[in-house]
Amino acid sequence: MSRALDRVGTWVGWAFFADLASALGLTFGYMFSRSVTMQYPDKEKWLPYARYRGHHFLKRDAEGEIKCVACELCARICPCDCIEVVPYEDEKGNRRPAKFEIDTARCLFCGLCEDACPADAIALGQQYEFSSFSSRDLVIGRDDLLLKPGKAASGGGVVAARLDTQKTVLVEANEPRGYNWWRNIRRR
Amino acid sequence: MELVVALGLIAFKVALLIAVLLLLPLPLTWMERKIAGHMQQRMGPMRVGWHGLLQPMADGIKLLTKEDHIPAEADRFLFKLAPILALAPPFVVFVAIPFGETVSVLGAEITLYVSNMNVALLFVFAVIGLEVYGVIFGGWAANSKYALLGSLRTCAQMISYEIPMGFAVIGVVILAQSMSLVDIVRAQADLWNIVYQPIGFFVFFVAGLAEAQRIPFDLAEAEGDLGAGFHTEYSGIRFAFFMVSEYVIMVLVSVLVVILFFGGWNGVLIPLPPLLWFLLKVAFFVYLFMWFRFTFPRYRYDQLMTIGWKVLLPLSLANIIITGIVFS
Repeated sequence: MSRALDRVGTWVGWAFFADLASALGLTFGYMFSRSVTMQYPDKEKWLPYARYRGHHFLKRDAEGEIKCVACELCARICPCDCIEVVPYEDEKGNRRPAKFEIDTARCLFCGLCEDACPADAIALGQQYEFSSFSSRDLVIGRDDLLLKPGKAASGGGVVAARLDTQKTVLVEANEPRGYNWWRNIRRR
Repeated sequence: MELVVALGLIAFKVALLIAVLLLLPLPLTWMERKIAGHMQQRMGPMRVGWHGLLQPMADGIKLLTKEDHIPAEADRFLFKLAPILALAPPFVVFVAIPFGETVSVLGAEITLYVSNMNVALLFVFAVIGLEVYGVIFGGWAANSKYALLGSLRTCAQMISYEIPMGFAVIGVVILAQSMSLVDIVRAQADLWNIVYQPIGFFVFFVAGLAEAQRIPFDLAEAEGDLGAGFHTEYSGIRFAFFMVSEYVIMVLVSVLVVILFFGGWNGVLIPLPPLLWFLLKVAFFVYLFMWFRFTFPRYRYDQLMTIGWKVLLPLSLANIIITGIVFS
């Protein structure tokens, strides 16, 4: 009986456009919700999480020496064969990379090199803006890798940013942590 | 001398009306894109001017400087004629639309309408029907299957929906005992027609949505299945003509709904200037059009025909009969 009544109620609702009205109410609610757009690159920028896998970087130890021992394990494990390591022996008799090149055009940012590294020398950092007009520029050498930014300390926020197009296109953000982007997501 | 002044006044009103109507799509496109953006949790235009306020200007300049391309197999004469045919009737209709009673400027009483025809309603429907020629010619002349399908659909849609639309206003005419839009508004001074004519309003509004070719009845330019419908092949300023026409018709349908069913410039409770009341109501209905657009999906073609002939037409006929019996 109650099911029949429910059905009658549904039909009455349809006759007075209850379904359309609820749809209109939903869109109206969304109209006054926060928008999830990030105004990248000239106003806002996303700071990645600490575990984000961005551009690789090479680490130095406490003495400022490069940590890498040129064991070539990263080059072996790399599924796209984009790391090239040539070792040499430095004045202290340590094995170090003479050449350490990563072709980021071929890299798939799986992070296996980071896992395989026995010396904790290579990791995937927070930089994600390194597009280029030439795939040649995407082959990054040892010295450039040492200068790349490391893992994000705090992340998952949106910070105010500025677009600098004077020399090269550069998105600059100075704040360490911004507002949590997820607060914009409307949940019901 | 009086004749010269009167003619000058009419010329001034007409010029003002054309200027306002030509500029109206600028804020309306901005509004539509903002509403669309916020309903989809986006921001809409943000870069040109404050919150993208100058975006329509940028779009206008872009459209004006675009190549005016005519397809090789097109009927060149009809192709050029169609945008003008689509643009002119909505503008002409506004001659008969009253925006208020009178305002006194420098001691002289000036009426807020170009002409107070006693067959204004008939004039409105006659002229607005001509707009479909622009659409049909545009689709035919482009010699493209998408454009032709779009204009065929428009043709069928316009014919099916103009009948219930015309019938729906008969109840209003019965109540006001006049076809003059000014008299219709005066007749609603005490109580708006929506109270007496809810079915009439419903039929008129739905048919108006179809007439303005807005979602959920925008089959003529269904982006998903027809490219862009009848204006697929148009570019540059001719495309802009179609867009302006679409926006002016949207405003026109809102204005007609307000005049016929929502008391025109008669206010309730809050004593605002009559013209402001009128514009507020029109703005609400324009917003409603945009709100609908980003809420509802498009009807299928056979559903469109079913609604037109099997729902709206019987409803409007019943409305006429009931109104006639009750108010005779």
